[in-house]
Amino acid sequence: MPEQTTRNTPSRLILTESERESARSNEPTRHGLTSERADSTPSEAARGLRIGVCGPVGTGKSSLIALLCRELSADLEIGVVTNDIYTDEDARFLRSAGVLDPARIRAVETGACPHTAIRDDVTANLIAVEELEEEFAPLDVVLVESGGDNLTATFSPALVDTQIFLIDVAGGGDVARKGGPGIERADLLVVNKTDLAPYVGVDPVAMVSDAGSVREGRPVIALSRTDPASVEALVTWVRSELTRHRGGALVPADPGPMAPHFHAVGTSHTHEHDHQHA
Amino acid sequence: MSDDLLMMLLADARLPVAGHTQSGQLEAAVRSGLTADQVPVFMRSRLASVVRVEAGTAVVALHRLRAGLPLEPVLDAWAARTPAAPMRDTSRTLGRALLRLVRRLFPDSTHVAEVAGLKRPCRPLVLAAAAATGGIAPTSLGRLVAYDDLQTVASASLKLLPLDPLDATSWVHDLLPEAERLATGVAPLTEPHHIPAPSAPQLDLWAQTHAHTTRRLFSA
Repeated sequence: MPEQTTRNTPSRLILTESERESARSNEPTRHGLTSERADSTPSEAARGLRIGVCGPVGTGKSSLIALLCRELSADLEIGVVTNDIYTDEDARFLRSAGVLDPARIRAVETGACPHTAIRDDVTANLIAVEELEEEFAPLDVVLVESGGDNLTATFSPALVDTQIFLIDVAGGGDVARKGGPGIERADLLVVNKTDLAPYVGVDPVAMVSDAGSVREGRPVIALSRTDPASVEALVTWVRSELTRHRGGALVPADPGPMAPHFHAVGTSHTHEHDHQHA
Repeated sequence: MSDDLLMMLLADARLPVAGHTQSGQLEAAVRSGLTADQVPVFMRSRLASVVRVEAGTAVVALHRLRAGLPLEPVLDAWAARTPAAPMRDTSRTLGRALLRLVRRLFPDSTHVAEVAGLKRPCRPLVLAAAAATGGIAPTSLGRLVAYDDLQTVASASLKLLPLDPLDATSWVHDLLPEAERLATGVAPLTEPHHIPAPSAPQLDLWAQTHAHTTRRLFSA
């Protein structure tokens, strides 16, 4: 039967930064991974790259996916899975955007549990991803859009290889400083809609700088669809993740569950310490 | 080891098998006017119809797995008793979801391998493979199918209707004797043609309507 194997997952989901590095340098051996049905299933690197896109409601997840389809579909085979609260709203937006064959856009119902569907029971999403990969083989990239949730929701590494977390300037200048697993540890943080900054009284440079200070060097892109340089930076990041995936060097890393914003004794941090810690 | 713990594991709502995407046609029923106080009747109607088919299918498949008999006739008998295409599709998708888990739990099971080799097995067949591997008795398997359906609808009702969760759980509790009757009723079945063939056209219609709505919380 055509079903693929259960996606292999690390025996322990949260890798430390040094483990990520060591896992990368030990390519193509993949950290505690075993294959259930090696005979019928392409290896992780042989199948397409699975990219998660998550972030709070209204930050621009669907638009970002439409943008990526527009920029990449000329030379890459793409599929999209959406998780909306009322199923196929996002899927219909993407289909109507005309950037991808509508058949390549699947909506997954989450039973009003968008967080569960990307985190503690990813089954429905994985099946949708696998069906797209089977039907339109070979796909280079599958984009999985989470239902708009809150700052604590991130993808399980059992579902995606790499993930983008979105916030936007209209959500307030202090969002990046507040942190959370996605803001701090998603593979890429996008601060979206920078063109709106003057209208909402937010300094995008400070926002990106705040984000950078909590992300320990992980990339941040200040994005506006009207700013070609920022779009180019996003596309370059996606292509570089695809290259790492194909080389077997991309090991899914979990941004982790919500962690309190604390500083251990002896560690330093660079942002102004004028806010209350929980 | 008794089969109790494996039963608990398989009946747990936290099982990663996409259970949270299902309402057992309740969403369509609510959309067409079903009210909160009618949910227990709705649950009982399912026990009397689609759940008997699913439970009977699971029990017969369990018998045939243990006896080394082919499973295709069971799959055919189940399909013939599940006239709504979206219902068949849902059960097959949930079977695929459960198979992911069961293959991980029992990687060496020949029963699981046999069901995995079928074309799109429905959920009762995958459950039967887990039961055959884990030593679950036919009556227990019937209880599992019935209990899971009650909890699926009860859980979905909390998302769809203004309810006290204590009420929803009370409804499940009050229907346990009915679930027990169902389980003991189907437990002796061994032949595909023994599988009950009740009819619930309103559930079929709801399933079909739901499959064509564009705004829904639940897959089915």
